[in-house]
Amino acid sequence: MNTMTLYVERNSPIHRLDPLVKLLYVAASILLTYILPEPLYIGGILFVTFLLLIIGKVFRNSLPIVTLSMFLIFSLVIVQGFFHPDNVTELFAIGPLVFYEEGLYVALVLVMRVLVMVGAFSLLILTTATDEMVERLIKKGMSPKIGHVILSVLQLIPQMRATMVKITDAQRSRGVETEGDLLTRVKAFFPLIGPVVLNSLNETKERSIALEMRGFDSPMKKTFLNEAKQYPHNKLIAGLITGIVILGIVWRVFG
Amino acid sequence: MSVIEVENLKYRYPDTTTLVLDDLSFSVEKGECLGIVGENTAGKSTLCYALAGLVPHFYKGAYGGKVTVNGLVVREHEIATIVENIGLVFENPFSQMTGAKQTVYGEVAFGLENMGLPRKNMHTRIEKYLKLLDVYSVKDKNPFDLSGGQMQRVAIASVLAMEPEVLILDEPTSQLDPQGSKDVFKVIEQLTGKGMTIILVEHKMEQIAQYADRVLLLHEGKQIDLDTPEKIFSRLDLKEFGVRPPVVTSIAQALTIRYPDTQLYPVTIQEFKRLEEMK
Amino acid sequence: MNKNSMWSLKLSTAAIVLIPAAIGINYIGKLFASLLRLPLWLDSIGTVLASMLAGPVIGAAAGIINNIIFGITADPISTVYAITSAAIGITVGVMAYKGWIASVQKAVVVGLVTGFVAALVSTPLNMIFWGGQTGNIWGDAFYTFLISNDIPQWLASFGDSIVVDVPDKVVTVLISYFIFKGLPNSLTNIYRQDSEIEVI
Repeated sequence: MNTMTLYVERNSPIHRLDPLVKLLYVAASILLTYILPEPLYIGGILFVTFLLLIIGKVFRNSLPIVTLSMFLIFSLVIVQGFFHPDNVTELFAIGPLVFYEEGLYVALVLVMRVLVMVGAFSLLILTTATDEMVERLIKKGMSPKIGHVILSVLQLIPQMRATMVKITDAQRSRGVETEGDLLTRVKAFFPLIGPVVLNSLNETKERSIALEMRGFDSPMKKTFLNEAKQYPHNKLIAGLITGIVILGIVWRVFG
Repeated sequence: MSVIEVENLKYRYPDTTTLVLDDLSFSVEKGECLGIVGENTAGKSTLCYALAGLVPHFYKGAYGGKVTVNGLVVREHEIATIVENIGLVFENPFSQMTGAKQTVYGEVAFGLENMGLPRKNMHTRIEKYLKLLDVYSVKDKNPFDLSGGQMQRVAIASVLAMEPEVLILDEPTSQLDPQGSKDVFKVIEQLTGKGMTIILVEHKMEQIAQYADRVLLLHEGKQIDLDTPEKIFSRLDLKEFGVRPPVVTSIAQALTIRYPDTQLYPVTIQEFKRLEEMK
Repeated sequence: MNKNSMWSLKLSTAAIVLIPAAIGINYIGKLFASLLRLPLWLDSIGTVLASMLAGPVIGAAAGIINNIIFGITADPISTVYAITSAAIGITVGVMAYKGWIASVQKAVVVGLVTGFVAALVSTPLNMIFWGGQTGNIWGDAFYTFLISNDIPQWLASFGDSIVVDVPDKVVTVLISYFIFKGLPNSLTNIYRQDSEIEVI
């Protein structure tokens, strides 16, 4: 069954880390790119992030995710390189297009920051099973209902995708045009999405009845089938990450 | 004391004007299997919801009378409390899967987690009901990868694992293929044999005749009759309520094969044969 | 309905189960839009519908979780816009509650306001994260045009977002409005948080 998470099952020290520590790393690494917004420092954070992706044995898996943000990166370089308001120093020109040093510098910082964000986030999602993360968050006080929502979406979407394929085929065979000029295609949108929406809302009603009958609204304190995993050195690593962020702030203020 | 007591139950869905349940009064004894029959607008499902507390707590609307389940007045308790006394399984197996669990085992655990059952008790219970429903072999599969019949048995296992006093089955096989239905009815047979109190809503009258100790006949929200399957299915005005008797009963009527003492018609093949031989 | 019920945090099971359905609808809307090569995203129909059905709290939750899920399953960048999605849910939820989905004309207004709010919330995010751009080709082209005409960066960024968000949200709200109007009462009233049990 396709549950559409990007989690890659591997045996690595990163996989064994507490999901919350990885979450902390995501927040800390992004924060640091703002605390110390020079290419050298951001480059350092980027290097560490890539290193962790390699240790986690998921570097190759992170590449498609990074590729998704390529358009944004490309657009950042072009627009900031040409048009940043502070542009004065001409760096080089390709034909009539002139790139400026100031703009490219801004673009470099932005691009590296995007890469840190995407990289750190990939590290979290590629090495963490979603249910492990959700259970950790629930134990830390997140509403179990929100946890339920997150987990069920991951199973629901592949099923809705299957329904969607069925409906598209059915409507096409009934003569709904999905090709042609814009108006034709706009007209096709309703017969396609209508049944999917109705179907899923009806299912919502039945599923909420089923959940009610399984004590979903119970005021009792929830127990868990899975035993809580032990995370060695948890506090140490979390402390280390927090320490580095504080150090960064101190460096920025007094340095 | 009866497990279920219904007194003058009246109910109307929100934003509607007609009563879906109109002054019902009956009781169900421990270990009994009560069949509910009637046409689509009779209020069978709504009555199930009322026994499980979904009416009025989930649906709201207008409510009157009193329903008591295992000593608990439904109107005065939350659904989460009521479900520890009465479980409900309905027709669509797919929407009864919570969607939040990736294995059948976890699916059955869902209700127990919500009840706050200690972990050490969970495993024994889950395994007991997985085996009872004959789905132990698929315990590590994703619930959505199962066949309809398997999914429905997982749904029943999930509800039974919460160990309610009463189990309501609202057309549990109407969306299943023949093999799936057969497997589910095998389970129902086992459960009635074990003395579980069961409320069964079903379109296949043969099944009602087979398992029900008594049958409640509903029509447009009103209680028409409550009696043994033989009495109910021998009624000559049954068609007026959109119910057709089991095929054997119709044949028996045509051949006037009936119980010599009560003049009622048989409702199962076994009884039909026995009476035929006697004749 | 009393004033408190719109913001009530005690949510019914039906309203909670609506969230995954809404996120699924968002996703399907987006897929159909790209299948039909429509020039809009249409990826918030579910959020908008959930807001109309169950109010601003569920709408906002659907929006936030939508972007988090999309972040962990496809594109991490989208997580940033969880705040925008929340704003969309709140705007539609509040306006629906105040009676602004009574007619097509009013629904258009809801769409315009929602688009405007979405742009307003996205602008600081775009400024913080990507120097004011959106990564949308039309929006960024407009941004470039404004910047090269000496428009301040934040205003250009807002313009970028407006171009991207307003048409999309007007169409999204209209589609959701038509779907919403077609839903039977027996379905829509289970999501409401305010109904009382009447005694007869």
